[in-house]
Amino acid sequence: MKLDRYELKSDNQLTFFTFLSEGQKGKIEKVVQFSLIYQNNLYNLSFGDRDYLTGQIDDKIVTDNGDSEKVLATVVAAIYAFCDKVPDAFIYATGSTAARTRLYRMGINKYYDIVKEDFKIFGQSKSEWEQYEKGKDYEAFVVQKKSIKFDI
Amino acid sequence: MKTILELNEKKIPVVRIDKSLNKYSNVVLFPEKVEKAKKAIEKVGLPDLTKYIE
Repeated sequence: MKLDRYELKSDNQLTFFTFLSEGQKGKIEKVVQFSLIYQNNLYNLSFGDRDYLTGQIDDKIVTDNGDSEKVLATVVAAIYAFCDKVPDAFIYATGSTAARTRLYRMGINKYYDIVKEDFKIFGQSKSEWEQYEKGKDYEAFVVQKKSIKFDI
Repeated sequence: MKTILELNEKKIPVVRIDKSLNKYSNVVLFPEKVEKAKKAIEKVGLPDLTKYIE
């Protein structure tokens, strides 16, 4: 994936990632967490900013640091890293707000041609799951790594 | 030996393991989102992987 992205730091289990977004508003710590929803390897992907003063994490904030593409590429990289550790995981993602869901959709659309080689991607439209179609509006997403080896 | 630049071009990124982050391994930092996801999955279920067309 020849995309500009930030350096990721993680815990031992590769479920919690942080990186520093560097842009017009300075350095902002970003957090990505994969949380087990059910025992059948279903994980929720959460993503937000950490306030360096309070330590609080905000997943509704619109940072507007001018580096959204690089941030999205880094989140995609975290998904690759997590799935290398838990290859049969289902990853569920939806935005905390409609705007953030739209941002996720834009991210998937942008990297779709790269990501679809390695992941099955589904979108939830109304109350149905369907195979992801680029450009279509979805409320939530599920990705699962295809059972092929990554290019390492 | 591969350089960092070469490694960064790979799909699986270079991730620095930071032991100080282990304290978050079993802590749900986004409980509202996880609860929302649970409810959505209970209602809608999971995608049928057998219907996936390459």
